[in-house]
Amino acid sequence: MKTARRVPLLKKMLSQLGIEDERVRLDWVSASEGDRFAFMVNEMTEQVRRLGPFRRNGAGVNV
Amino acid sequence: MSKLKVALYWAASCGGCEIAQLEIGDKILKLAEVADIVFWPVAIDIKYKDVEAMSDQSIDACLFNGGIRNSEQEHMAKLLRIKSKVLIAYGACAYGGGVPGLANLFNRQTIFDRVYVGTPSTDNNSKIVPQISYKVPEGELTIPEFYDTVRTLAQTVAVDYIIPGCPPEERTTWLALEALIEGKLPPKGAVISHNIKSVCDDCPRKRNVKKIKRFCRTFEIIPEPELCLLEQGLLCAGVATRGGCQAPCPQANMPCTGCYGPVEGVIDQGAHFLSAVASVIDSNDPLEIQKIIVGIRDPVGTFYRYSLPDSLLRRARTKCEG
Repeated sequence: MKTARRVPLLKKMLSQLGIEDERVRLDWVSASEGDRFAFMVNEMTEQVRRLGPFRRNGAGVNV
Repeated sequence: MSKLKVALYWAASCGGCEIAQLEIGDKILKLAEVADIVFWPVAIDIKYKDVEAMSDQSIDACLFNGGIRNSEQEHMAKLLRIKSKVLIAYGACAYGGGVPGLANLFNRQTIFDRVYVGTPSTDNNSKIVPQISYKVPEGELTIPEFYDTVRTLAQTVAVDYIIPGCPPEERTTWLALEALIEGKLPPKGAVISHNIKSVCDDCPRKRNVKKIKRFCRTFEIIPEPELCLLEQGLLCAGVATRGGCQAPCPQANMPCTGCYGPVEGVIDQGAHFLSAVASVIDSNDPLEIQKIIVGIRDPVGTFYRYSLPDSLLRRARTKCEG
């Protein structure tokens, strides 16, 4: 349950730091939902790939 | 034994650290007995070229306060590193970037636009902002380059010790100076403080199981004098902050803001603080949780008050040039 409280606050802070909401995701999957798990992992991977590599300054060089 | 040579320098800081160094009171005479101060811009008239002329490693210890936000500060950090046997990051700004480090939420251009153009009291129609060099009939004038990003001292040069605090408490300053005078400095890399545990360990307030329905700001409530401030909904950083200060802020009814940096073993103070705060929210309902965190108006400024440049992210993502 603590995670369910931490993630909304973390996301609120990350948005202040200019980090896209789509880079962090919290979801719940039961041990019996293998297909759903695989689907979500693929979906997340695709989503992050579309956003591209993370750079601290948004200009291509880490400072 | 010949006298120790000590240097003190300030970079991106407010000047409070210089005052904190004088807080040691008459112990300063004890320091003067065994040490010569060879460089201290706030108090003695010695030029940069005099420091450049000193032989390498000729300064026994340099207490350096302030973060690195421009090229002059970077130059002095590198110079003092070469000239000093022991380089000490003194205070929260040298250690974690400090309050000036919150400028890492912006970049040079947004800061210049605001400071030199946008503020309501500024009359600057031609939008003149500082330039590194400017040609005048007499020749070329130069000023230091202002960087997009504030860095900590340790992100700029190798640092031997850290004295935390905004500013460091007198007892912490003396703990370090006494160790220096007696030649009993701890292993390199140490953060010098009386307590490696959190401020809560120093704090006399009563603690129970924390369950928070509403976060508030200091002006919104008059806190109970004996109960843990975090339990009363104030965002007290004591849980995520190194002790040794003896908790003067919570004892004056003000929440700890985190100036002594992370507790031993923690890399990212803000993440630690955020995690501790979020986990005591008294709700399992996503909507209610969202409503409760509305009370935390400025998460970065609260959780990384003194340590944004030293965090894992170091700065907000904005377009930067250098």
